[in-house]
Amino acid sequence: MADLLIEGLTKRFGGVTAVDNISLHVADGEFVTLLGPSGCGKSTTLAAIAGLDQADGGRIEVGGTVYFDAARGIYRPPEARSCGLVFQSYALWPHMTVADNVAFPLSLRKVPGPERRRRIEEVLALVEMERFADRYPHQLSGGQQQRVALARTLVYHPAILLLDEPLSNLDAKLRDRARAWLAELRTRLRLTTIYVTHDQIEALSLSDRVVVMNGGRIAQVGAPQEIYERPADPFVADFIGTTNFLPARVVGAAPAGGRTLLELADGQRLEVVAERPAAEGSRVTIAYRPEQIRVAPEGGGGEDGSVLSTHVTSRSYIGGNWQIGLDLAGSPMRLEARQAPAGDPLRLWLPHSGGILFQGGADAAA
Amino acid sequence: MDAIAARVEAAPAAPPAVPRIPRAVPIQYGTALLVLVLVAAPLLPVLLQSLLDGALYEHEYTLTLANFARLARTEGFGQVLLNTALLAGMTTVVAQVAGTVAAILFGRTDLPMARVLGEFFLWPLYLSALVLSFGWYAVYGPSGYLTLLWPSVLGEAPWNLYSLAGMAMVAGVSQAPLAYIYCLSSATITDPSLEEAARVSGAGTFRTLWRITLPLMMPAIAYSAVLNFTIGLELLSIPLIFGDPAGITVLTTFLFNNGVSSPRPDHGLVATAAALMLLIVCFLVWLQGRMLGNTRRFITLGGKATRPRAFRLGALRWPLFTLAVLYILATVIAPIGTLVLRAFTSFLSPMIPLGEVLTTGNFATLFDYPVYSRAVWNSFVVSLLGGALATALIGLIAIIVHRSEFRFRGALHYLALFPRAVPGVVAGIGFFYAFALLPGLGGLRNSIWILVIAFTMRFIPAGLGAVAPMLLQVSPDLDRAARVQGADWWTTSRRIVLPLMRPALVGCYTILFVSFFKEYSTAIFLFAPGSEVIGTALLQLWVQGEAGLVAALATIQVVTIAVCIAAVRGIFGVKLHG
Repeated sequence: MADLLIEGLTKRFGGVTAVDNISLHVADGEFVTLLGPSGCGKSTTLAAIAGLDQADGGRIEVGGTVYFDAARGIYRPPEARSCGLVFQSYALWPHMTVADNVAFPLSLRKVPGPERRRRIEEVLALVEMERFADRYPHQLSGGQQQRVALARTLVYHPAILLLDEPLSNLDAKLRDRARAWLAELRTRLRLTTIYVTHDQIEALSLSDRVVVMNGGRIAQVGAPQEIYERPADPFVADFIGTTNFLPARVVGAAPAGGRTLLELADGQRLEVVAERPAAEGSRVTIAYRPEQIRVAPEGGGGEDGSVLSTHVTSRSYIGGNWQIGLDLAGSPMRLEARQAPAGDPLRLWLPHSGGILFQGGADAAA
Repeated sequence: MDAIAARVEAAPAAPPAVPRIPRAVPIQYGTALLVLVLVAAPLLPVLLQSLLDGALYEHEYTLTLANFARLARTEGFGQVLLNTALLAGMTTVVAQVAGTVAAILFGRTDLPMARVLGEFFLWPLYLSALVLSFGWYAVYGPSGYLTLLWPSVLGEAPWNLYSLAGMAMVAGVSQAPLAYIYCLSSATITDPSLEEAARVSGAGTFRTLWRITLPLMMPAIAYSAVLNFTIGLELLSIPLIFGDPAGITVLTTFLFNNGVSSPRPDHGLVATAAALMLLIVCFLVWLQGRMLGNTRRFITLGGKATRPRAFRLGALRWPLFTLAVLYILATVIAPIGTLVLRAFTSFLSPMIPLGEVLTTGNFATLFDYPVYSRAVWNSFVVSLLGGALATALIGLIAIIVHRSEFRFRGALHYLALFPRAVPGVVAGIGFFYAFALLPGLGGLRNSIWILVIAFTMRFIPAGLGAVAPMLLQVSPDLDRAARVQGADWWTTSRRIVLPLMRPALVGCYTILFVSFFKEYSTAIFLFAPGSEVIGTALLQLWVQGEAGLVAALATIQVVTIAVCIAAVRGIFGVKLHG
């Protein structure tokens, strides 16, 4: 096991900068997820760590061994690194049985016969695939293939483990089970792990820290809860979870922690506790999670929130709850409620604290 | 479980040291160099000789363009060029018409037994044009079986193989399978809904065929037309057998007569004509490449490989079936059948009852002559061993071009495909010069290895064509996984990529075996006493007028190829075309 140090990593494809000056330190035994939409540079970063792509600039070091250093002209080919990579496609060799697949990295390391057999048995037991040792990959289900791919990687004790969207080829039910299994395995193994995904639930539930990437840059690094509750910008807020964005103008500024008074496009006003104070008259965007807002009870909202009038644009029953589409001063809002909305207009309750204030107009959130 | 986990997470070994020079480097550079030498060896001497006033092996000469002027002034050379163009053009027309009609009839209609007929239609593809010519001669030649039978019923036979039209007919039929394959594969990947739309809007079977199906095939027809025109230019056997006696000379026979059979060959003239031919074929191959780019753009509109619904022929079903059977009988079964029959008879004529002439004497005589039994033996050695060596080289080229970070892989790919543009006769002349020039290669010159080398160079593109599509289907993740786990490029290639390519390599070996076994146009410039192969022996026997021995030797070739193809198809299920 080892720590991973990335400094100023840059990778260009023709004129496109896929990874733009990324720096990151992953501690020994830490589980870090690279999260972002397709094309954000997360897979390119992973390929650069594994050595499958040679980066154009920067430095990669694992456990004190320099894998790549553009300035000193150092590039270790993938076979001279000590990475374990599980591919999105699993990449099991179709002409070898499960046991042969797992034996391959051991035979490269000239591990003697008896020890080789013992380690294959152990690692297959770890992923609960010992009964399938003599099967060929095409005789296995997707979830089983994924376990074998992981076993094949763990068997040679890599310094760091790289997982490239390992759950994305599974169907929804299987994915939930595999995620739970992976979470359990991760607490047992405590390997330094880089996990690449575009699925926020995987990222939030598995990781020690999440790195949200956008356009080749790091948008935010933090613990899952921090990323979800205090997104650094509208992109992170939008990408992690469903978010309602409201454009507004500051009419009553307040110091940090005080209540700022905002006015919406149709003149309705609301109060928000902002961590970052905004200047009087400036344009801002306020973001709410669907679970933070609700239909206002009869006769007023109380001291801790503002009540605003909205139009109902859609309602659909999604099993247990109703999903209600609203129009608030020209901005679409979504919330879930136990009961179908009674009438139109609908009175909506927004909490004073919990919403996050961003500088700039609503287009920043798009 | 936690005990297991604890052991699995044991401390990792230190990363392996980085070798100063990875193993991949000598393998990749070595292969590239070998291919460069193979391709350049025959071309440089030809191009150089065309610019010299004396023979290449003399020590004093000057660079000159005089050879080109001399060639232009050579009496009858204009006629040679005209004949070449006419023969290639007419051959193309015959091949395209027959191939396109067959593709539609066998591939797209409810013609009875369409699959079987399609298989028979492909036969000429597997046989050498040389053997096919002998077959046609045995049926339609001046003393051919049908030519003699015909007058007794219908008056004088209306055909004459010893003419441009006759040769174009033989060549066209032997090349029609190419047009057929391209049109068929184009038909299976175009979107069937395009035709269904036409039918729904009220177009009948033949209107739909004419207005929708055929225009959609146009790119395939055009591409295979250029391909067939190129092959028509390179043809040696048919003009040699039917053209020469009638005084019709084309470029290939011009090269053959002035370069090989002439007692005092004019090297400047031969090399210049060869260089000219090389330029023309280079241009045509370039044109093919451009058109293939265009057809791809055109075809991928469709997408899914669904089998479109067959057209109903209605009342014409059985008449068209009869016509198709007659065509197959007349162009494939009769020539080959008669040739095989001739091999087992002392004399074949409709006037003499078959029972009186049946004999195995031809084969006995054939094997009595050491020259001819050696030719058969050599053919097997060249094809089995040479084919295996060539397959190994082609597999190596394929993984370097498609599965490595080799810096010059683009150049290597281009180089490996270049022999497509080198006609067999030009390659033959070129290797002849190369081996005459280079000292120390004298030993090779009189052995069959010179043939193995020349054949390998000639058929690298065909072999790559069989291997590359499969290699591109193997996910690159499979090699990346091995690399990340610690295997270098060569180990990955040996243990992951090459084993996965096994079916493609078997297909490649079969194609090379068949190609080497039937090859004659290059060999004819290179063989020496002791290194004869079936192709060269056939031509020698033909010149001596030994019709029975020619038929026997040709039969050996046909049967060997048929057995080989049937075996590979049966055992491995490998498709050998398309």
